[in-house]
Amino acid sequence: METKSTSSFTNLVDQSVCPGDVVLDLSKMINQTIKLGGGLRQDCDAISVMKAGRLRFSKPHKYWVENSQKRYVPYAEDSVLGIVVDSRSDNFLVDIKGPTLAFLPVLAFEGGTRRNIPRFEIGTLIYVRVIKANPGMNPELSCTDASGKAAEFGALKDGYMFECTTGQSRMLLSSPTCPVLDALGKKLSFEIAVGLNGRVWVDAASPHTTIVVANAIMNSETLSGAQQRIMVEKLLQRIQ
Amino acid sequence: METDRPDGRTPNQLRPLACSCSILHRAHGSASWAQGETKVLAAVYGPKAGTKKNENPEKASIEVIWKPKTGQIGKLEKEYEMILKRTLESICIRTIYPNTTTSVIVQVVHDDGALLPCAINAACTALVDAGIPLKHLAVAICCSVTDSGCIILDPTKEEEEKMKAYINLVFPNTIVSVLPERSSQVGSEPMAHGIMTSVTQGAMSVDDYLHCLDRGRAASARLSEFVRKNIGPKSTWLGRMGFLCR
Repeated sequence: METKSTSSFTNLVDQSVCPGDVVLDLSKMINQTIKLGGGLRQDCDAISVMKAGRLRFSKPHKYWVENSQKRYVPYAEDSVLGIVVDSRSDNFLVDIKGPTLAFLPVLAFEGGTRRNIPRFEIGTLIYVRVIKANPGMNPELSCTDASGKAAEFGALKDGYMFECTTGQSRMLLSSPTCPVLDALGKKLSFEIAVGLNGRVWVDAASPHTTIVVANAIMNSETLSGAQQRIMVEKLLQRIQ
Repeated sequence: METDRPDGRTPNQLRPLACSCSILHRAHGSASWAQGETKVLAAVYGPKAGTKKNENPEKASIEVIWKPKTGQIGKLEKEYEMILKRTLESICIRTIYPNTTTSVIVQVVHDDGALLPCAINAACTALVDAGIPLKHLAVAICCSVTDSGCIILDPTKEEEEKMKAYINLVFPNTIVSVLPERSSQVGSEPMAHGIMTSVTQGAMSVDDYLHCLDRGRAASARLSEFVRKNIGPKSTWLGRMGFLCR
């Protein structure tokens, strides 16, 4: 029983899986609690895959499918870049590339009261946190962290925003630092905000630097770490 | 008696397959699928808010738009749209995004026979590329019956016009499972042998139909391996560097 369970665990973890693949057999896991992340679903005693990607496992007993797509699925506690599309008396309507528009209450700011509601024009880019994301409801956003401070959230002025896939934005936010950001940071000075919904905002002193950084990030999606460093070095050589 | 095919294939041989994902920039998922000269481009948009009239607000809706290569949409294209919509609805998990609509646009690039299976394969691959939750994949194949009773796979348009009858079949893809072999079967057959869609043209006997099923199942196993290989992430480093150095 132990050996069989061990072989089941290592069978498909870190491999590419397709929708329909059965990756876990609950009838063999006695007295174990597992946590299912995105891309997996339960069908009686079998855990099967809903999205194509790579099956991941982290101790103790967390499973998820790591995939890359253009459409964003809102989850609580994600940090995303949103675009204000409308403002109502109680809420701003924000596009976060999800199935529906998200609500940003006018009081969800640091020190927000009825007397000093911030003014966001339509089209403003803001860095927000998802606090509620229930199916069938519009997601709810906030411009503060859990303790009520503004931290890094708020409107992003100037700069340049481009879109990538959710997998690439997770790579840019991973630790240790993504190789392309590490290589760019050694030579150039820029400011960057990465949203988990596949939006990236870059700002630098000159538009020239902004364009170089944006192009390097856009080109790095399908490259490995070493290839990313080589690509950045070639790019910087050309502009000097 | 062996049938002599114009392009030199054996009766059980498929035409060369080609599949590309993520080729359209604006679509949330896109795929191009080619079988020989037949080529179809599929794009997926959504899930987007809102549903069409008379749709179920508790489930996600799927809208299929068929774009022929030339001419206007006629009755045949409407039938293809309906078949595609039913097939895609059966593989999607529609309760995750209620009250939304997913649009699948299918553009025919070239038609050289076996067009509907090519479109179904392209649409399924595009749904995977868009990250739509799916129960399983679907693979489609076309079998045809000659006047002399031979069964050949994946006919070209020239062959289709000479056939007595042909049938388009859609099966679930073969899955990788950690369950014991018996557990993932339905009755005494694996799930990949189930029929999701069957569309016939012409008249054929019951025996010919069952023979077509056997040939279709064997071919769908090969198609499943091909789809699985192409869905995974791929690197285009050389292409990117070529673009940069230009």
